Amino acid sequence: MPVADDIQSSWADEVEIDQGALPPPSEVVENGLKIVTEYKYDNDNKKVKIVRTYKIEKRVVSKSIAKRKTWSKFGDSANDKPGPNPATTNVSEDVFMQFISSKEESQRPDDGELDGLKPPTSRVIFKCRTCQGDHWTLSCPFQHTELAQAKANEAAKSTDAKTATTNKYVAPYLREGGAGRGTSREPPGARRDDIAAIRISNLSNFAVEADLEDLVKGFGPVQKLYLAKEKSTGHCKGFAYVHFKFRADAAKAIQTLNGHGYDHLILNVEWSKPPQNN
Amino acid sequence: MKPLMLQGHERAITQIKYNREGDLLFSAAKDSKPNVWWSLNGERLGTFNGHGGVVWCLDVDWQTINLITGGGDSSCRLWDLETGKNIATIKTNSSVRTCNFSFSAYQAAYTTDKAMGRPCEVSIIDTRTIDESISTQTPILKWEITDSKVTSMVWGTLDETIITGHEAGDLIQWDLRTGKKVHSIKEHTHQINDMQLSRDATMFITASKDQTAKLFDTSSMELLKEYKTERPVNSAALSPILDHVVLGGGQDAMEVTTTSTRQGKFDARFFHLVFEEEFGRVKGHFGPINSLAFHPDGKSYASGGEDGYVRVQSFDQSYFDYTFDYNRD
Repeated sequence: MPVADDIQSSWADEVEIDQGALPPPSEVVENGLKIVTEYKYDNDNKKVKIVRTYKIEKRVVSKSIAKRKTWSKFGDSANDKPGPNPATTNVSEDVFMQFISSKEESQRPDDGELDGLKPPTSRVIFKCRTCQGDHWTLSCPFQHTELAQAKANEAAKSTDAKTATTNKYVAPYLREGGAGRGTSREPPGARRDDIAAIRISNLSNFAVEADLEDLVKGFGPVQKLYLAKEKSTGHCKGFAYVHFKFRADAAKAIQTLNGHGYDHLILNVEWSKPPQNN
Repeated sequence: MKPLMLQGHERAITQIKYNREGDLLFSAAKDSKPNVWWSLNGERLGTFNGHGGVVWCLDVDWQTINLITGGGDSSCRLWDLETGKNIATIKTNSSVRTCNFSFSAYQAAYTTDKAMGRPCEVSIIDTRTIDESISTQTPILKWEITDSKVTSMVWGTLDETIITGHEAGDLIQWDLRTGKKVHSIKEHTHQINDMQLSRDATMFITASKDQTAKLFDTSSMELLKEYKTERPVNSAALSPILDHVVLGGGQDAMEVTTTSTRQGKFDARFFHLVFEEEFGRVKGHFGPINSLAFHPDGKSYASGGEDGYVRVQSFDQSYFDYTFDYNRD
């Protein structure tokens, strides 16, 4: 007869217990990298895993700096472990210097961006019905020529159509000058130069930018090269993007390079697809 | 470049400085604890606990042994850098606005505010041996400033002079042997917020509330260059390796909410030293920049803002590749 084992705790209880406790933080040091893993609860009471990767570097410095490096921490940092404390030191997002090339730009008034959105006021609102020039029809140089007769009817029609459209309400972002703002809101992938961009995949891990350049330089002028690299090792991730100046060159490159053997691997080349909006 | 954000302060930063070799970065804020950081990775080495209020100024000697700080609790304190201990506390009659070691660190100077019925005073103390006795030592030289108070100060050439910047915009060079004025000029119309020396100390740059920063010769006090902006300048620093100047500023903290929301008010702005023209900006802070400092190797700089953060930014290659277009004729 089977004897029932003592049930130490039911599985339902175990789940309860699990939710309360967090896995202990761990710290792994391997090939020049220190990986610290921590668990905590976020604002929605969900368990979050935080992985911080530090690169350990050795530097040669003067004696006085090296001596200072051995100083122990004091004050409010006395209990900190070696290495940056995430409570006080953080790495923020990439910030790039914006270079200002023209003088006018730097002296632009504060709300200059919004000026383009106002309906244009200074534009010439009259137009010659004969030649569409910026003068009255009466003073048109073609006044007494054949052109005047032929154009008169046609021009009259088109100006009618034009006035009809200008009276309509136009949303600010559709107005002239508003277009500049509109485009800047588009996702960065949707730039115009993408039409001549190709994606090369199945590259060797040891490919570098120079190899890539050699590979594509024969097809035509290249605007931009991007080789995806592993952050920590600097090795190629296996794919790259090439922006050509002309679409025809890009097409030629796809035709020739797709299936081309390179460094024991067969390359896969295709048009670069715009990133999916999600 | 990914900047390091140092979040050691609870209130607005008042001054930041690197030591001479650039491995340590010091920051003082309107909370009572100045901090020291390793500039390379942003790790905090420690805090100097002792002040009872805002810390307006700090300075480190050339050997990185001692730190001097001055604050609103009417005291000027000397600290041991290795342990973070407060060695001496000099009691003053009003809050200490500026303090600096001379280059040799044989002397230090501090100035006090005109407040609580006390005049603004400049004091020079002997710091050849730093121990508790400094707390009771009488200054070797002390004089009153009768007109507008001192808001910034630097040591002049060969530790023989000091230069003070005043609330009304005056710049005065004092001879320390006689305690008398050598030069007195008024090139700014408003308060001088900051003064910093060039690497070789032959020039210094002033940052003023009158929306300009100006470059002067340290010994002759001659005006050399002027950098104009459209907002008050809180701090200016000179690059040690390139002909570049960085300015930081923005509105007064009290006016920030009432002005245009356009981004860029709180950028660090880079000017060419000679051509006086702006060529670049770096964003980052959520409030005005109060203090700026170049790393002594010129490859990074740090800024401290009204938002309480210190940001250490190393320059990209594009910064070093950038050349300023000009006609060689």
